[in-house]
Amino acid sequence: MDIRFEEPALTGSYDVVGSFPKSFGYGVEESSTSADKPRILLMGLRRSGKSSIQKVVFHKMSPNETLFLESTNKIYKDDISSSSFVNFQIWDFPGQVDFFDPTFDSEMIFKGTGALIFVIDAQDDYVEPLGRLHLTVSRAYKVNPDINFEVFIHKVDGLSDDHKIETQRDIHQRANDDLADASLEKLHLSFYLTSIYDHSIFEAFSKVVQKLIPQLATLENLLNIFISHSGIEKAFLFDVVSKIYIATDSSPVDMQSYELCCDMIDVVIDVSCIYGLMQDGSGCAYDKKSLAIIKLNNTTVLYLKEVTKFLALVCILREESFERKGLIEYNFHCFRKAIHEVFEVGTSPQGISSSSSSLTGLKYATLNGSAV
Amino acid sequence: MKGGSSIGHQSFVYPGSVLKMNALVALCHFCELHGPRTLFCTEALHPPSPSPSSQAGVPVPGDRDRDGDREGEGLTMRANSSTTQRGEMCDGCRSLPASHPGFVSIDDETGIRFLSHQHPRQPQLFSVVRQACVRSLSCEVCPGREGPIFFGDEQHGFVFSHTFFIKDSLARGFQRWYSIVMVAMDRIYLINSWPFLLRHLRLTIQSLQSTALKVFDNEQGVCPQRAVRMNSVFSPAVFPHQRSGNAARSLTSLTQHPNLWASLHSSFSWLLKACGSRLTEKLLEGAPTEDTLVLIERQTEQEEEMSCWEGAEGGGSKSQRHLSESELGHDFLCDYAKLDELPGPKFRSLRHLRQVLGAAEFRQLVWHVLMGNQVIWRGADPGLIQSAFTVLKSLVPVGCVRSVPYSAQYEEAYKCNFLGLSPDVPIPTHVSSSEFSVLVDVSSERSCQISVMGEDDVSSLYQFTISSANTQPTDRGPTLLNKLEVALSNENLSVDVVSHCLLCLKEEWMNKVKVLFKFSKVDGRGREDTQKVLALLGATGPGEEDNVRLLKFWMTGLSKTYKSHLMTAVRGGERSPSQ
Repeated sequence: MDIRFEEPALTGSYDVVGSFPKSFGYGVEESSTSADKPRILLMGLRRSGKSSIQKVVFHKMSPNETLFLESTNKIYKDDISSSSFVNFQIWDFPGQVDFFDPTFDSEMIFKGTGALIFVIDAQDDYVEPLGRLHLTVSRAYKVNPDINFEVFIHKVDGLSDDHKIETQRDIHQRANDDLADASLEKLHLSFYLTSIYDHSIFEAFSKVVQKLIPQLATLENLLNIFISHSGIEKAFLFDVVSKIYIATDSSPVDMQSYELCCDMIDVVIDVSCIYGLMQDGSGCAYDKKSLAIIKLNNTTVLYLKEVTKFLALVCILREESFERKGLIEYNFHCFRKAIHEVFEVGTSPQGISSSSSSLTGLKYATLNGSAV
Repeated sequence: MKGGSSIGHQSFVYPGSVLKMNALVALCHFCELHGPRTLFCTEALHPPSPSPSSQAGVPVPGDRDRDGDREGEGLTMRANSSTTQRGEMCDGCRSLPASHPGFVSIDDETGIRFLSHQHPRQPQLFSVVRQACVRSLSCEVCPGREGPIFFGDEQHGFVFSHTFFIKDSLARGFQRWYSIVMVAMDRIYLINSWPFLLRHLRLTIQSLQSTALKVFDNEQGVCPQRAVRMNSVFSPAVFPHQRSGNAARSLTSLTQHPNLWASLHSSFSWLLKACGSRLTEKLLEGAPTEDTLVLIERQTEQEEEMSCWEGAEGGGSKSQRHLSESELGHDFLCDYAKLDELPGPKFRSLRHLRQVLGAAEFRQLVWHVLMGNQVIWRGADPGLIQSAFTVLKSLVPVGCVRSVPYSAQYEEAYKCNFLGLSPDVPIPTHVSSSEFSVLVDVSSERSCQISVMGEDDVSSLYQFTISSANTQPTDRGPTLLNKLEVALSNENLSVDVVSHCLLCLKEEWMNKVKVLFKFSKVDGRGREDTQKVLALLGATGPGEEDNVRLLKFWMTGLSKTYKSHLMTAVRGGERSPSQ
């Protein structure tokens, strides 16, 4: 039972839904209103690419198709918790409307937010967006200081590498200068270079989501232990539907490895859809028994195994290490069990210190971890 | 203006004060650059209300618009918080140029003026419309996205909104988002107008959409946008890319309609006018009596007949109608008008009648009236007879009265229960020997001159002879009559008080009639049960027979609405078991 449900000290409390274990018969799980789930906001000027990001990452839209997306005219609240590990809502805002106008309830919008992603179009002049960024961020900070502020410097596919770095540095500096002028030094902004035409958007989104997972350190630890004991080079814990990874081991992440793993997931799911379904088309392409081993011609092996309903472990290892397959499998078995335990623990009174910070609870429940 | 033909008058009986319909219609657009914007607004100005802005007549349009722009739709994000950006309007959100005086239509019947321009004239309406616009475009959702929605509150008014898309080959998703809203302060009025508004707004929207679709197809045929965009994205020449390029396109260019705003003005004005005249409100103090309901029913029937006749005969038969009405004596109200025109002495009240006729004769006469027998007055003075009828009619419910004020021949009892005849009309024997009629012969003592002094003195001029074949005793009941006599003979009570007393007695007995009706006719109970009810109603006792007759007679005066309501209510529901 989730005690937080009863705790009156929480201001603006919402139901900690995703972490409810299946056995909890309260029935609130399905019926919790959308206002209760934590959320990620996508804001920015018009035509900066917010709707495209949301569609490409979570709805598998082809980047070319995003050219024909309609202009967003109201807040689009996308709830992806049923298909993704990510148990929160993505709110896509229309760029033309000022949501700090008294007509709108900015309290309500920002109180329940875990992360605010501000999208800047790098191919256009960024003076105006910077101004808006400052405005948005400072107002949101006033309402809710615990929001993670992320800035996506978007559409960098058209820029050369030097230009990219230059742009990022420039934006970074100006934004922080503005904040310093407004004496909001405590406000931290993270910058990412993204584009929907390659995997950078997924990478950036992965980092954003990771910051909202309280169990991150534990997961990383587990992964470290696992790879060191199994002779694996790199391992990612992927959310299969959106292809963002929620944890990786401590070794540095190489973009190519990440892309490789993404592609592998695509292949596995596609093949499963063809051969893995029943005669009548029922069944799931991705289930408990999903397992894939792909041997590349440069002696690298890719290994995919199901961990939970939404998560898969993807590892990159050398062919020699893969000879000790039995050991790896046993280690994986322990790892999988541990992961389940971590997420089950997540539902029980871990953060219920009656400390006043109600917003630890906010970052808390962004997971569908216990869904097995 | 569209369709001036009869819309069909529907009366809406409504307790409460009469409100002036005050609404406006606006076309809103979600602009690519600026977000939700009011494009075009039509309001109705009622002549008596002196609003400050109308005192100056039509204000200088330029000033007003600048004010409108300066206040700004306010919801456009201002990146630098500078005021320069506030007032800007692109092609997409500017409908009429600032110098345009707008459109005015004047309704000659009512004097209402319909004004249209980009923004509403009165400043207090401005924020109401803006709020409605924002909510309609950016907040409320309906299934399928194109459809009607109702929302609102006391503070910002109630809004009926219909959103829709207009195809645009240069737009991002190939369509643009619009809505038509109707804003009013009266919630019930708007909700009651829902089907009407929906029907007509749909027509307007469909015509806009089809016009725009033709333009869209043309443009696509010339240069298909999908190909252009796919290719242009990857060409370096595009950089810096078209941020503001195809952002704004006015509705006029989307539809290629030469007089778009003028025709929208006429559509919206018609909508306001028609919506306003569809429903009327009547002030009602307290619950309506059965008499009122019957009167309303008759009036409605008459109006329907009138419209039927006019339709059938091309409206030229008014004189015919009046004649037939006077023959049948349908029109209750007509009597009053005619009465004043006739000269001669008249009966003023029941007390006066009683005085003139004498207590016993009065009682006899009134007994017959209350029992539902035919009351025939024969005499030379139609005015006198009619006044007598007017006084006697007040004794029974309106629904029980069928009168022929004056006729040259005898009319059967089923046609009328109040019959006035000229002196030489013979009464058929079956009537004179019938128990169910009473005859009053009016004869004048002096055959000629009426002295100027005694004009109003009925008793000195006329003699009244009452005859009837009735064998029943008239002095036992009904209870109502007994009570009435007590009131009439009490000289301390004025005539007005007596008439109010009569009204109360009538209501009391009408209620008893209703109970009996439900009990016996609707529920179909047997004699024994009915007897019990009668005891309950206080109808038993010495005058029981008469009371029962009265109740049965008065049952015929119930309004149709009431009867049908009871019938359907019973048939639909379950029979309640007797206690």
